[in-house]
Amino acid sequence: MAWEYYLVVMLVYLGTDLLAVWGLNLEFGVAGIANLAYIVVVAAGAYAYAIVTLGPSSGNGGFQTYIGGFTLPFPLALLVGAAAGALVGTLIGLTGLKRLRQDYQGVAMLVVSLMVTTIVSADIGLFNGTAGLALIPNPFSNLDPDTARWAYVALVAVCCLIGFVVLRRFTTGPMGRTLRAMRDDDTAASAAGKDVVRLRLVVQAVGGAFGGLSGALLAGFIGGWSPSAWAYIETLAFLSCIIVGGRGSDLGVSLGTLIIAVLLLQGVQFLPQIASSPGLSEDFGWIILGAATIAFIWFRPQGVLKERRPRYRGESPSKLPG
Amino acid sequence: MQLIIEAIGFGIATGAVIALGAVGFSVQFGISNILNITYGALMTLSAYIGLVLINHGINAWAALAISAVAVGAVSVIYHRILLAPLVRRGTRAIAMIIVTVSAGTILQYVIVAIAGPSSQSYGEQSGQTFHFLDLTLSFGQVTIIVLTAILMLALHLLLTRTTLGKAMRATSSNRTLARSCGIATSRISDIAWFISGCLCGAAGVALAITTVSFDFSLGALFLIPMIAAAVLGGIGQPYGAMLGGMIIGISSEVAAAVSNPNYKDVVAFVILIIVLLVRPRGLFGAAWSSRRLMEG
Repeated sequence: MAWEYYLVVMLVYLGTDLLAVWGLNLEFGVAGIANLAYIVVVAAGAYAYAIVTLGPSSGNGGFQTYIGGFTLPFPLALLVGAAAGALVGTLIGLTGLKRLRQDYQGVAMLVVSLMVTTIVSADIGLFNGTAGLALIPNPFSNLDPDTARWAYVALVAVCCLIGFVVLRRFTTGPMGRTLRAMRDDDTAASAAGKDVVRLRLVVQAVGGAFGGLSGALLAGFIGGWSPSAWAYIETLAFLSCIIVGGRGSDLGVSLGTLIIAVLLLQGVQFLPQIASSPGLSEDFGWIILGAATIAFIWFRPQGVLKERRPRYRGESPSKLPG
Repeated sequence: MQLIIEAIGFGIATGAVIALGAVGFSVQFGISNILNITYGALMTLSAYIGLVLINHGINAWAALAISAVAVGAVSVIYHRILLAPLVRRGTRAIAMIIVTVSAGTILQYVIVAIAGPSSQSYGEQSGQTFHFLDLTLSFGQVTIIVLTAILMLALHLLLTRTTLGKAMRATSSNRTLARSCGIATSRISDIAWFISGCLCGAAGVALAITTVSFDFSLGALFLIPMIAAAVLGGIGQPYGAMLGGMIIGISSEVAAAVSNPNYKDVVAFVILIIVLLVRPRGLFGAAWSSRRLMEG
């Protein structure tokens, strides 16, 4: 049934967006890294998943060219996707080796994002250029279509569950406190003996793994992946989820994902279509998304669900400022 | 060899456009401490304003001047009503960068919604060519090189020979101190954003004149060589941005001539990464700008 198919699509998108937003929130919301190249790690995961499941590029009549070409079972392929995300995330993180101002490093990462898209689009031999990769195998293709769809939802749900457990190891406890200290005052954090440069690289590797897994799951579900799916503004969509939901709060950004990535960006498809300009509703989606992001930074920078301020032993709650 | 000489000629023309853009971007950072990513979308806006004017029969160079002034005015308003109030409210730099990316996205999609996603072109410019030494350049390219040289000289004279320029440099190096000396820093900011906005607008139309066709992503893609040039020269340093623009323009055209033209921007990108890792303050960055760019 149509609505059931639509529901499956929404759930898979929600799950993959959640993983990506959690990863970026760890970097941006918790550790204070303005990673404007985050979508590149998602793309890395998707391409990695594609080339380790598609088999040799001579297959399917050899209509597409790409490097690698293996046929790994899907759990392994998902791990490869996450690993590719972590690797690319670390490479992107190298732009911060000199401890630059965070907005300055953010601009450098934005340029990285633009550049990688240009290179992958131009080089046919890498991942089939602008046309991108198609026929990426769905792991449940031997089941009947209805069961296969819900099996995929279950797979995404399991990944999200595991992801959330791992995420909490980094956003709570000693690690979470260290990262927040680095975000709020990194000079103080280094004075307390924290290696800020190394911590940022670790965070970008972990965040990259989340993005890579998200991309791998998305590629397996859609069956295709091309440069138009990961333009630099896609990173803005994830950042928007974080800012609207409440940066630094795992629950908040999850809510933000539901509002921005699902309700807004998918919802605009229900606007009345204008025959002369078919892309108009999507354009409106981006305009609203940008406006919502700016409005939240202006009126409610803490987001819908504010990050909980940690309480420490011996500190009385009533004395807390603000 | 001939190939490389021709590429150098093209590189000077490309470098002139990059320098126009990079100087404006750098001036904005210098005066307001904001890395304004909306700059790319404003260049796109300028290219489309130019397109409308040219389609109404206005000469391309008149269109360039009109678009430049229009984008200059838009930049002042943008800074006045959005960026400056946010800075006053204490919005952190990391959030400001997201504001400027968001505003750029809004502007880009407003342009798409109005003008459509298809490629546009200013049409055939005058076919006249110039030969100088072994270089062959089109009329459009020569005009842009001359125009850039004039604008850069004018900016140089403004910054060094006038009281206004002195006030701008003072505001740029220490805003608080400048204000205590009686400089009306918010008015100086307005003027600086107008001048840099004009440069942004001029660069947008100049870029559209020198490319065969363009679409709404014109400005976004131009961010690669432009930011590389600004960072190479030392961000916030107008002279550095001029030199950076020329270096990036010539080296990328030469690289494109001897290898794959698709990889033109890779040179700019590699230069950007090397500068960030080796000398983030750039060639001309003073010690104070180094302090400003690094943490702690």
